[in-house]
Amino acid sequence: MKSPAPPKRSAFLPPAKESWGTRNPFEEFKTFTTPTSNFPLDQIVQSTEAVMDRIRSGYEKLLEEEAKELVWMVQYNTIIKAYEVAEKYVKEIDYTAEDIEDFCFALENTQKIPYLIPGPAGVYISALCNYAKEEEIALKLSELKTEINLIGFRLSKGKRLLIEGDTGDFTGIGLEGGELIVEGNAKNWTGAGMRGGKILVRKNIGLHTGEWMMGGEIYVGGRVRGLGNIVEGKVYERDKLVYPGKARYPNLYY
Amino acid sequence: MEEEHYQSIIEEIWPRLKKKHLYPEIPMPKVKETPAPEQAEAEEGVGLEMKQKQMTINGAFVSQMKGQMEEKRVVEALLDHGITHYTFCPWDFNTHLRLYSEAKKVVGDKELAKQVSNYFIDIIADTHCVKRRFTEIPELHRNLKKGTIQDVIASLYEKIWGMDLGIPRSKTSVKGHADIVRRLARIPYLDRSRWGESIQKFARSLKPLLIEEEKERGAKGGKGERNPQGDHDLNHYSNEEIDQGLRDYARQTMALSEFKDVVEDFSDELKGAGYGMEGGMGRGQGNLIDADILFYMKLAENYSIPLKKFPLEEKGSLHPHSHSPWEIGSPFQDVDIWTSFGKIMPGITQIWTKREGKGKGKMEGTPDCLIAIDSSGSMINPRKSLSYAVLGAACATNAYLQNGSKVAVYNFSDAPMGGKDVLNYTDRREDIYRVLCKYFGGGTALDLEDLMPLTRGRKNLDLFIITDMKITNLEALIGFFGQIRNRVTAVHIGDNPYAARFEKAVEKRKNISIYTVKRKEDIPHIVLGRIRDYFNPTQTKNS
Repeated sequence: MKSPAPPKRSAFLPPAKESWGTRNPFEEFKTFTTPTSNFPLDQIVQSTEAVMDRIRSGYEKLLEEEAKELVWMVQYNTIIKAYEVAEKYVKEIDYTAEDIEDFCFALENTQKIPYLIPGPAGVYISALCNYAKEEEIALKLSELKTEINLIGFRLSKGKRLLIEGDTGDFTGIGLEGGELIVEGNAKNWTGAGMRGGKILVRKNIGLHTGEWMMGGEIYVGGRVRGLGNIVEGKVYERDKLVYPGKARYPNLYY
Repeated sequence: MEEEHYQSIIEEIWPRLKKKHLYPEIPMPKVKETPAPEQAEAEEGVGLEMKQKQMTINGAFVSQMKGQMEEKRVVEALLDHGITHYTFCPWDFNTHLRLYSEAKKVVGDKELAKQVSNYFIDIIADTHCVKRRFTEIPELHRNLKKGTIQDVIASLYEKIWGMDLGIPRSKTSVKGHADIVRRLARIPYLDRSRWGESIQKFARSLKPLLIEEEKERGAKGGKGERNPQGDHDLNHYSNEEIDQGLRDYARQTMALSEFKDVVEDFSDELKGAGYGMEGGMGRGQGNLIDADILFYMKLAENYSIPLKKFPLEEKGSLHPHSHSPWEIGSPFQDVDIWTSFGKIMPGITQIWTKREGKGKGKMEGTPDCLIAIDSSGSMINPRKSLSYAVLGAACATNAYLQNGSKVAVYNFSDAPMGGKDVLNYTDRREDIYRVLCKYFGGGTALDLEDLMPLTRGRKNLDLFIITDMKITNLEALIGFFGQIRNRVTAVHIGDNPYAARFEKAVEKRKNISIYTVKRKEDIPHIVLGRIRDYFNPTQTKNS
């Protein structure tokens, strides 16, 4: 005798009653796993951020102390005082040359640093360069919109600072035996009061170059717009010695 | 045969890959057909192609890698990479454009900027995948043939992934390269909110290498190495994605020059995607792309103005008027069952004869619109910087066109002296935008003789005028508005005696609405908001 075949279940019928119970739609992901190890990128980024925060905070404190009215006059005493304050904060931070470069770009980002006051910023960057562990520092600043003033202030013997891009006024002032190379133009008062060392500007240089310069050498690959009152030292324009020499007079505009 | 083999590999691993990437909406990848022998050599180096959402694996590439890595793992690594482009970076066309434009700000050159953005996008995709998924991507990088830049990037991967990818020490210790890797490693690749500044830093660091490579390529006769993980171009995106991307990019940048630069840089690809200025919705073949017009078009698409419809005199609606006998073959739907006694029989059955209604119907419609735009010297040149006057007029244009109406444009500066452009009623958006974007930059005078033919015989017509009201013959304009009964929206920029004079003269006219904009930048917002008040007061009250 033929046994009756079980009725076929239509594909459109609801599922069997036993499977009607609440089913977690994300059940399938119970076994889903992702790599959990510490990712080196995260660590690098975190430590970079932490250092940047400290550098930024030092700069903000410098501004609080030195530029309360957000006005900062470039005078011999103010520069010295600002540098001493900057030194105090910079000494406590462990950073690299790349951190200095990042800080230069962060200065232009108003969301990160609300005030860019060129004087104190330059003094602070100089302090960072002088206290960096590296003897040779390269800052790629060609894309920086702001020309930083006072960069290379008091660069000491044995230090070599290379700047890609242009620099502002008072570049390399008070240089103390270090080597400063600017792969671009430098503005006025470059090398003012420098005591020793070498400044090399690949392109042109502004007025008052080497004002009160007490020693050292300034090499200019392009034109020197005007020399300052130089006490001692040498200035070269396209490999030609222009000071000491008869050809150039202080602040002569050419 | 080999194609089938690779296709079967894809079919086998695809469900697992989809699960791994949380089920992205991507179709099953395909295997590329074997290319002709002359093409084969060029294509051997590229493992993956992506067109719109279709990923295609290059079988020749997989075969080439067979000696170093199992085929299945090669395919999986390539697909992981491809999927991550859709699920993480660049994600959409707008992000791609933004990354490109940030890179271009640093490198200054179109080709270099494209290369920078491609490398950046690849690094983000691979890094995301390595961090978040179990993937064969590191193994693929270990076995790929590398040029100078790929070596640097692989060294970067070693550093940021913490894996050995077999880069010889002789390469990692090259001084310049080590510097670059150190700089690149500090970039927060996975932080989407910082991609703008990150790509700038990336471009700054990589620029010397790219320039070096470009020189080498020039020496080789322009033949460079292709990206084994596939190039990133507009082929990735569908037309809708490109539309949306341009719209978002215009809205986010709000900068005409930036938009123009990017559109011009991608003009070939956009033309390939069908972006010419003729044809509907800004697409069509054969013409140069006018980036200015495209900018206003895409920017205006971000705003929508609800337009209240107007009770128009309707002649077209039919209503049952009288009875007539039904004949065999006539339609049944007009049968009047009550007078036919429920029977279908010639001589007994009657049908309704319908006639057109007369007088004001209840049907609402949108009238056509005449837009008068001032392009005198006191207005902003829309082709130099963002003109909110043009943007406002563009938004109004869109509102009318979307409602099936036509728009005429009267662009005037010193009209009696020829400083004008008139466009008759049309629904061709490109033509309207072209006239709106025209700039004369002279004095400001209307010639009513020009307006008359555009308004004559059109009882239902809206007028939209946007100007600073410093019109020499303002009295004539006031007189003209005094005569007409059409709805008029007048937008004037800033407070000045001319605007005050105009306001005072027409204050009693209910059909004229005046909107003052104190700051030019407020035009798109205030005008749009207040137009809504005007066109649809009930909606504004309720909201």
